[in-house]
Amino acid sequence: MTSRDAILARLRQNRPQGPTLPDIHAVPFLGFEDRFAAFAGLIRNLGGEAVQLAEGESVLDHVRARWPDHGRLVDLTSANLPQPVRPHDWNDVDVAVVPGELAVAESAAVWVSHPDNTFRSLYFLTQKLVLVVPRAAIVDNMRDAYARIRFREHGFGAFISGSSRTADIEQSLVMGAHGAMAALVIFV
Amino acid sequence: MKPAHIHHPEAAAAFLQDREQARWHDSAIWWVRQKRDTQASQLPEWEALRTLAREIKAHTLSRLDEYLVAFQENAEKNGVVVHWAADADEHNRIVHGLLAAAGVQKLVKSKSMLTEECGLNPYLEQHGIEVIDTDLGERIVQLRQEPPSHIVMPAIHLKKEQISELFHRELGTEAGNNDPTYLTHAARANLRQHFLTADAGLTGVNFAIAETGGIVVCTNEGNADLGTALPPLHIASMGLEKIIPRLEHLGVFTRLLARSAIGSPITTYTSHFHRPRPGGQLHIVIVDNGRSQILGDADFYQSLRCIRCGACMNTCPVYRRSTGHSYSYIIPGPIGSTLGPSRDIDQHGSMAFACTTCGSCSNVCPVKINLHEQLVLQRRRAFEAGTLKPVKKMGLLAMRFAIRHPALMDAGGKVMRKVVPVLPAALTADSAWSRAGRALPDMPSKSFKELWRERQQENPS
Repeated sequence: MTSRDAILARLRQNRPQGPTLPDIHAVPFLGFEDRFAAFAGLIRNLGGEAVQLAEGESVLDHVRARWPDHGRLVDLTSANLPQPVRPHDWNDVDVAVVPGELAVAESAAVWVSHPDNTFRSLYFLTQKLVLVVPRAAIVDNMRDAYARIRFREHGFGAFISGSSRTADIEQSLVMGAHGAMAALVIFV
Repeated sequence: MKPAHIHHPEAAAAFLQDREQARWHDSAIWWVRQKRDTQASQLPEWEALRTLAREIKAHTLSRLDEYLVAFQENAEKNGVVVHWAADADEHNRIVHGLLAAAGVQKLVKSKSMLTEECGLNPYLEQHGIEVIDTDLGERIVQLRQEPPSHIVMPAIHLKKEQISELFHRELGTEAGNNDPTYLTHAARANLRQHFLTADAGLTGVNFAIAETGGIVVCTNEGNADLGTALPPLHIASMGLEKIIPRLEHLGVFTRLLARSAIGSPITTYTSHFHRPRPGGQLHIVIVDNGRSQILGDADFYQSLRCIRCGACMNTCPVYRRSTGHSYSYIIPGPIGSTLGPSRDIDQHGSMAFACTTCGSCSNVCPVKINLHEQLVLQRRRAFEAGTLKPVKKMGLLAMRFAIRHPALMDAGGKVMRKVVPVLPAALTADSAWSRAGRALPDMPSKSFKELWRERQQENPS
């Protein structure tokens, strides 16, 4: 007998009683009157910032005004998507501008899953991550978010909430553990 | 790996020698518990969420075999290779086989308590593979060649001065620079090079979705993402209890996990993997290693609902005052104190007594495991298995005898209340329950039973 069959046989034999699957939509979940305000208030504590693009301003205008001396910039929202040969080739990226499909007010998280991105390493190698989200695409909570997300990027997708961080040294919160040191969410 | 034969009370006593460190450890972990409370209080539906999570997990456990089969079918449709390991040894052999076939020399790992349970690192190192733990806390304890002391905060037993010394020696940081930001960024630069030169990445699994065949990995650092986005080979090791039926159920569990674990609304990265990257491979190893046995145990199967948030240890008055290193099993605290004894009562019997039965763990558990009740039942098993030290065993037997003979108990209490106050202090200080600096409380004039009777006579209900 293979390990698979032996394990499954033991699980079948040892089945405990269990309830039926509950309806997770039967419980009212948290909502917000002003979702953007909730999102923007929360992300400030998570090493990030959220802004709404001003009239006539472009995403790149905003990025350049914020980081005038930035290094290599990669823009996945542009029409000509740059495609490197290896995922490692994104290592020297300073600013990555990435489309985010959906934002979640309760957790300041943005859903990222880009169908034309070959190497997801960009999201994590870049020093500064800029997520561009349509203004209307903001939901209250994670349950609402899971009802809307799609896995467009060869089976991959991630919620990203603020900057990479750690508190592994004496519980001191430090931004920039391995991934982006700064996170900016621009609602357009 | 933990050293064999750790006896909780002895190890805890050794830890408590350094009172300042012990106080710091207690308050640092209590602070995380308070952050968890703040998050919980901000969600009106918090208790309803816990109930939903418990029911989803309880339902899943009642059909675990079906959901695992569905998970495998759906994962394979997506081009994922699924492996099954009956025990730790088979898990290690499967992982090594995959690495050897791909000619891997360096493996970057993100946090996985399962691989700690299986002893994967030493196994791979014996076979000539360089293993780099990439979670900052895990990296610290790896460089110190010690096990993690907490499942979410692996290096919480250390002070920044100790980490500074370690990094000075291992990474060449400035001597005496104890700034956490400086030290973290030094580790970042060092580990970035390891990510870029690794041949494979290994992650744990927080949730495996039967409906989609995908897995979810949660980190704050982004180390699991770098470790799987750069090298072409991704191996994910999962305990078979990690299954949830549907994608929508993540809308419950991702709301509970980080709030319970660290007091954040969500982890920085919640990453979903369904297919290998173009040109890459994704392998998932499903591990039993004793879990199917626990499933069949009516007293303890609920422990398989655990989502490894660590909230039970953060709230535990014993854990906070004894560190994870005082527990013989690799998972410490209340959840470890039922999982460890379930696995091997002879080795982990002392863990069942690392508990005041206050029940706080059960009250914070996001999947409502009856932890403190399980620990009482594990004590019985420890007693029956003969794992207790003679003094403890004699004490328990004497107590049992007294409780079964109320007249004797009353008489004994009366004698004690009279005799103890007139005993010389040197005599009372020298008992199994006393320590230097402790004094016996003043003896009351009457027993509880006597007080109760008087009250009943004064205010007959």
